[in-house]
Amino acid sequence: MMKMSNRVFNILFHTHTISGIVISAVLYVIFFAGSFSFFRDEIISWERNEPVLESNLPDLDLNAMLDTLQQGQDLYGRDITFSKYLEGQRIAVNLSAPKATTGEQKGRKRGSYYYMNIDDFKTYTYASNYSIGEFLYRLHFLAQLNLYGRSGYLIAGIVSFFFLFAVITGVIVHWKKIISSFYVFRPKASWKNIWTDAHTALGILGLPYQFVYAVTGVFLIISTTVMSPPVLSFLYEGDTQKMYDDLGLGNKEFPMAMAKLEGEVDFNRFVETTQSYWSDFYIKSVKIYNYGDANMHVAVEGHPEYSRDFIGEGELVFNGKSGEIIHEKNPFENTSYIDGATGVLYRLHFGDFGGTGLRVVYFILGIASCFVILSGVLIWLVARDKKNVEERKRKFNRWLGWVYLAICLSMFPATAFTFLAVKLFVHEFDASRMTSIYQIFFYAWLFFIVLFTAKRDNFFTNKYSLIIGAVLGVLVPVANGIISGNWIWVTYSRGYNDILLIDIFWLIGSLLTFSIAITLKRDEKRKAAPRAMSRKAKVA
Amino acid sequence: MPANKKYLTKSFSQRFAKISAGILGGYMVTMSLHLALAYWLNHANVIMTLRFVGFIIWVALLIIAFLVKNGWKTWGIYLAITFVFALIMYVGKIYHPIP
Repeated sequence: MMKMSNRVFNILFHTHTISGIVISAVLYVIFFAGSFSFFRDEIISWERNEPVLESNLPDLDLNAMLDTLQQGQDLYGRDITFSKYLEGQRIAVNLSAPKATTGEQKGRKRGSYYYMNIDDFKTYTYASNYSIGEFLYRLHFLAQLNLYGRSGYLIAGIVSFFFLFAVITGVIVHWKKIISSFYVFRPKASWKNIWTDAHTALGILGLPYQFVYAVTGVFLIISTTVMSPPVLSFLYEGDTQKMYDDLGLGNKEFPMAMAKLEGEVDFNRFVETTQSYWSDFYIKSVKIYNYGDANMHVAVEGHPEYSRDFIGEGELVFNGKSGEIIHEKNPFENTSYIDGATGVLYRLHFGDFGGTGLRVVYFILGIASCFVILSGVLIWLVARDKKNVEERKRKFNRWLGWVYLAICLSMFPATAFTFLAVKLFVHEFDASRMTSIYQIFFYAWLFFIVLFTAKRDNFFTNKYSLIIGAVLGVLVPVANGIISGNWIWVTYSRGYNDILLIDIFWLIGSLLTFSIAITLKRDEKRKAAPRAMSRKAKVA
Repeated sequence: MPANKKYLTKSFSQRFAKISAGILGGYMVTMSLHLALAYWLNHANVIMTLRFVGFIIWVALLIIAFLVKNGWKTWGIYLAITFVFALIMYVGKIYHPIP
């Protein structure tokens, strides 16, 4: 057995505490919003009332979509990408700037990006395509804080780096008693023991999950920003293109023939060919290079169905004119180390490889991690609320507790309120949609934070944030039924499973939260009841 | 119970040395290790590894920096290790240049 000196224990304990308390509130926001992001696609379907029945690329009519795009703009010589980032009725379309400036294409032409509904071919810009799902997804890596460059991403990255630090130091600190303390829960003991037991037990239970999220999170958000500058200057001597090519991030280029392609091209054929070429292949995107040019090429990209293979990236590149395959990357065999490692890191983070059940488990573990964060803050608070601590410091600690708990716990009612308010009042799919969602969420959040901080009572914050969130949450399926007519029994009988999932989630989640919240009782008699926990205790 | 203060670093210069050695020095060791390996192994794979394993190594070096009694000594060791890896890089660049 490894022996740890008191010095090592205390130093690591201290660094665990400090790194934990500094990142706690932001980390809570990341975990809370991130947990909801597992259901991003379902949330979007629910919000737009667009059930996803058939949306796979092979079912789309690319010819018709291109005809629609053709109206009002010249597509000749552009690269056009259709990609399916999420399960939904809308597909992302990326148009590059035209590569050739012919006589009729004068004037400033830029690339553009939008979403197209696969049924009625309506197009949406980024802002009009915005949704609660997208909002919560982006909140979980603090995109809304990108006020100065990519400052939000950087903060999220630094937080996940110190989260990794806190996870590892936490394990070392608890190492000696890691087995025994896992089984300890003393509900009748002092508050400090309760928070400690909960923090340790859930921390160990969620340890693999939290470690995975710390590593994959920091990889996804800042690995390029932080790790690439020295690599670029030493290894590649400033050649960015070469580095991206080596890492498989580069783009293909095909030269333009500068002559229009004769005859009609059936774009659906490329997808059909790919499908019959590889069964069990999930097509993620179709990229058309040099549209309408004699040297047009079409790349069909994707990965194996997750039921067959966990990792792998595949691609077929066709010559647009002859239709023959000029390049093949087999998704099932000889997966490179880079594709494999990237695939594992993405799959583990997105949790999208095991169906809805796995995402529910991931969601529960995510919320459990929120609890680990909060109980950590409460240990910090309770441990410092002692008579021998300076009054000035104690006052600061108490305020920190009130503000932190208000920020964290308000997220639940604010999220429930956003679902409700967007469903009831935001029906326009225009550029104002993004602003409306921002305002609804952030003002609701601010309102609850101010309310709970002003009350200066952690017990009140805890109990009433849960009750308010649960009451608002139980109204979410009701609002959806009134507005869209898609009541739970309707979506159930029609098989709109994605919409049903969100309604069921709010219904069960809210009832569960409510039943827990009403049983919460202020315990005045608890041994060493910390003053910070309640103002009344101070008066008593 | 908060950590026992008698084991914690009190002097400002020592604290500064430990934190800066852990963060900056740790970064230098992590980067130079992977750059040195990149010249001798498949460089693209090493860079990919750096992008996720690098953070774990960096965190480990940060923890070690807090544990060593003298923060300036940590700086010295981390700089020395970086220097050794830089030498390996230098030799690697001569014999196995990146194509």
